[in-house]
Amino acid sequence: MTLLPLTWTLGYAGLTALALAMKRHHEAVLGAKASEARLRGFRVLGWALLAAMTAGCLAIWPTALALWMALGMVAFAGLPLVFLLPYRPRLAGGLAVGLPVVGLVVGWVLG
Amino acid sequence: MKASLRQSMAWLHTWSGLLLGWLLVAIFITGTSAYFRDEISFWMAPELHHSVASEAAPRLAWEQLNATAPDARDWLIALPHERHPAVELRWRPDTPDAQENRRRRGERAELDATTGELLEPRASRGGGFLYRFHFELYGVPRIWARWLVCVATMFMLVAIVSGVITHKKIFKDFFTVRPGKGQRSWLDAHNATAVLALPFHFMITYSGLLIFMVMLMPWGMNVAYEDGWRGFFNEVFPREEQAANAGAPAPLVDDIQPLVARTEAAFGQPARYIEVEWPNRDNALIRITTAKEAAITDRRRGGNPSLSFEGTSGRLLKTDPGVGADDGFAARTYNLFVNLHLARFADPATRWLFFLFGVVGSAMACTGMLLWVSKRTQQLRGKTPGFNLRLVNGLNMASITGLLAAMAVYFAANRLLPAALETRESWEIRAFLLAWLATLIHALWRPHRRGWLEQLAALAALWLAVPVINLATTDSHLFSAIAWRHGALAAFDLVCLGMAAGAGYAFWRVAGHKPARKPARAARARRAAAGESS
Repeated sequence: MTLLPLTWTLGYAGLTALALAMKRHHEAVLGAKASEARLRGFRVLGWALLAAMTAGCLAIWPTALALWMALGMVAFAGLPLVFLLPYRPRLAGGLAVGLPVVGLVVGWVLG
Repeated sequence: MKASLRQSMAWLHTWSGLLLGWLLVAIFITGTSAYFRDEISFWMAPELHHSVASEAAPRLAWEQLNATAPDARDWLIALPHERHPAVELRWRPDTPDAQENRRRRGERAELDATTGELLEPRASRGGGFLYRFHFELYGVPRIWARWLVCVATMFMLVAIVSGVITHKKIFKDFFTVRPGKGQRSWLDAHNATAVLALPFHFMITYSGLLIFMVMLMPWGMNVAYEDGWRGFFNEVFPREEQAANAGAPAPLVDDIQPLVARTEAAFGQPARYIEVEWPNRDNALIRITTAKEAAITDRRRGGNPSLSFEGTSGRLLKTDPGVGADDGFAARTYNLFVNLHLARFADPATRWLFFLFGVVGSAMACTGMLLWVSKRTQQLRGKTPGFNLRLVNGLNMASITGLLAAMAVYFAANRLLPAALETRESWEIRAFLLAWLATLIHALWRPHRRGWLEQLAALAALWLAVPVINLATTDSHLFSAIAWRHGALAAFDLVCLGMAAGAGYAFWRVAGHKPARKPARAARARRAAAGESS
């Protein structure tokens, strides 16, 4: 299977989690005030997902290029996110859960 | 300077960005298209579209060259591959004129890779024009243009560093974009495209300078080598000297196929080039080079493995495993930067990602330019803008929508100009330049919202026209490209449709846009209402 769709969606999920670790975006997306513990939880989750995304890059490309593309994935995942957040915050949050599944399936189908 | 570091950096960022921004936008946009230079060139040569790469290609090329140019000085056969499925033949006739200038390209022909039929593609500079424009512009002496582009690139580096200092706050929260609020929104969009792709912006700028380091900083080479950069290049990229004289006539091996098979087996990679020195002479030399999967730290040229054979007998003379891995640390770092800039190693998916990098970079430059105008328009508070602001607004329009429109005209001209036209390839370029000039005149005449609307409408219409004209003038249009599963051809038309959709969306947004202050108030009211209800 091709890992590219999953890798990109993991980057999206990771960045969304990092946004949810900030009070302002947390309230906009989830509609509730967050406790410090939850914010910290999202921060850890975000970095963990970004680490998984980097692992995906390392599986796709040779090391030097992979590390470079991991930085690139932040841009490709982050841009849709930042432009979605002000318009459809709830959708932006929902996609973070749904997209990795779609990415997995698409990668599987594409072979 | 009396002001604080941040203020001086903001000043530097604003003015270096403005003065070189127009050039940088053009460099970014044409450079982005250059990632698909081969695909664009192929699209612009519809006569080649029916060629399908086949096993028989080396034999067909061999027969063709033996018939057309048996006594040339040398031959080069570029075998078909994914990005160019026809066989390209080049040869230099053995005439004093051809020998005088080693860089002279000589004769060229394209061959159908399955039937061996000679193809006659229309004269066009293809994607090469946009690629060259990216660092040499057009109509300016090459060395001046390169210096100008390098100065702009240097300022881009300055703008990146000063921008990071000016906007360092955004690193804390780059998730915030506030749409529909004039200046603020442009600032947010500029920040988002700049910060999220900051590694790319830095890499592309710095590596752009590295590519020209020999031109920009020749002093070290001048001190170390008697003949300056030439000496440096001769040592770093040693060139194999061709035997100076033709030998006595003697036929080449009949069949090239076994030699190709042997090379492919030796390195486990498909053959890419067949070079022959002094064909059909007794000192003939055949060199077959494979298409190596280039590692990202390998050097740009001369790195691919090859086998050399005696031309008359086919006896193996030399095995060259290729170079690159034994380069030093500095050389490999240089190679890394240059390869990232050029994306030479890239498979199609990675190439698309680099193309997207370029799109983000272009967006970053464009939003910066629009931010400058938006900020000053807002400061007017409804007064009529003065000459300077109108000039900048007009130049922004010509450099963004104008250039994109001119590119669409360039592609349309490729399909519409008659194939028999004298200096046809120059007319394609003239169409591009005239269209760009027209948008500039229009932009300076109408540097306001209506002007933008008119250019955006024209932009959408022109990009939409390209696939339609393609449909009307060729049989390799979008529908057949999809049926043939030809990704590059289909993608070209789809990107055109995407450009048209993007321009149409921008038109719709600008048309629906009300003066900046009202929606801001409305949005605040809306947010307040939403806050109360939740």
